[in-house]
Amino acid sequence: MAKIIVVTSGKGGVGKTTSAAAIATGLALRGNKTVVIDFDVGLRNLDLIMGCERRVVYDLINVIQGEAGLNQALIRDKRTENLHILPASQTRDKEALTPEGVEKVLETLSQEYDFIVCDSPAGIEHGAQLAMYFADEAIVVTNPEVSSVRDSDRILGLLASKTRRAERSEPPVREHLLITRYDPNRVTSGDMLTLEDVREILAINLVGLIPESEAVLRASNQGVPVVHDMDSDAGQAYADTVSRLLGEDVPLRFHEYQKKGLLSRMFGGGRR
Amino acid sequence: MSLNMDRVASAFTFKGGMLPMTVMELTSADPEQIRAQLAGKVSQSPAFFQHTPVVLSVEQLDEPHLALERICAVCRAHKLLPVAVRGGTDPVKQSAWALGLGWFPPQEARPRAVEEAPLATAEPQPEAEASSAPAVGRIYRGTVRSGQQVTAPEGDLVVVGAVNPGAEVLAAGSVHVYGPLRGRALGGIHGDRQAGIFCKELHAELLSLAGNYKRLEDIDPRLLNQPVQVQLRDDQLNISSLG
Repeated sequence: MAKIIVVTSGKGGVGKTTSAAAIATGLALRGNKTVVIDFDVGLRNLDLIMGCERRVVYDLINVIQGEAGLNQALIRDKRTENLHILPASQTRDKEALTPEGVEKVLETLSQEYDFIVCDSPAGIEHGAQLAMYFADEAIVVTNPEVSSVRDSDRILGLLASKTRRAERSEPPVREHLLITRYDPNRVTSGDMLTLEDVREILAINLVGLIPESEAVLRASNQGVPVVHDMDSDAGQAYADTVSRLLGEDVPLRFHEYQKKGLLSRMFGGGRR
Repeated sequence: MSLNMDRVASAFTFKGGMLPMTVMELTSADPEQIRAQLAGKVSQSPAFFQHTPVVLSVEQLDEPHLALERICAVCRAHKLLPVAVRGGTDPVKQSAWALGLGWFPPQEARPRAVEEAPLATAEPQPEAEASSAPAVGRIYRGTVRSGQQVTAPEGDLVVVGAVNPGAEVLAAGSVHVYGPLRGRALGGIHGDRQAGIFCKELHAELLSLAGNYKRLEDIDPRLLNQPVQVQLRDDQLNISSLG
């Protein structure tokens, strides 16, 4: 049976899809059979971040409506073994996503995979609720910023009440906090909330901290999940996150303000 | 919050208020029958009959003319103070005004109340107990998150955890938060002016007691992030440190 992980946030633009792509890739790189599903019907992005947009033929909605088989819609990742992508539809309506259909797809995938990563759309409507409904674990992506923290708080409330586990009174969804776009320099100058502020309000286990990094934008535009770029701080931070998800104890990195040394100032080096 | 901060001391201010009020639902217009039943009630719970203001509801009576003056006299003799009449015909309204009482229009038809009324008169004892027994409150463990609302419709609400921004906690009685209070807290939602709000760390978006409120920006910054208690004093929320 696969473990179903939803990557969600409430607020848009905080890095859900980037994180879903990086974490799914990271899990596959560690030898786990992984599939990542795009639930953002109508605003499909995951295929771009995963660099497989030209290979999309069928999508999740086609499968749910019986127009294609699951194996026809699954796209095998070219770089990583054990990794598949199930894209969303760009043209269909969100309402085409039915709970019964999603349940059937997840059940079938569960037989074959170790991890199912669901990339949730922003918001708290139908699509976002379906993405989280069947989850065993949730990664709540949050930027160190008040509106993002409040929306994450709202999502945590829904995870505790509007999921299958909650409705069946089973053990609750395991919640993980993933802080992205963290810039220690701006935290020090008071522009951003501190790591402690965010943790205190959301009061859930911190699974990772991804620093603001040029590598993320570069990776998105190239269609290569940033976890492949192990020279970058963001790539390493996602790799740490995956380790923690797998139960390893990894110390936190990239959360402290680093003064630029003379050499890096002269040669414009530093954190990429 | 009162708005009379003018230079001239005003003699009074008008305020809307929701006061708890006992309604005496009459099912008989016979003053003698009322007298007999009241005498029984007084012996059961004398504490209740301390010049308690009551509204006489005559909605269930079908009589166009009432011996309103005699009924009022019976009530006063048993230390009940009729302050108004609810329902009834136009002559009833006129005689209420003539007696210096207020008059309220009848309530919307509520079949439930009609069914319950005869039951209550048949078994007066449990009813009398219910009014003196302490109301059951509610204990909530965990974080109250943005968008969530936790209510104690009767009694106090105890939250063991944080109340986050965008969350709302309400209670008929007092609100106790053993954690940071960052959302909205409303106590005494049915008008209980004795209710208070207590928290370990004050950063509330809104504090309200029996309809009187203070917003975050009205709160003295020195009290923020402190353990505090909030009480109603002269229609003003009084926040004091517990530290």
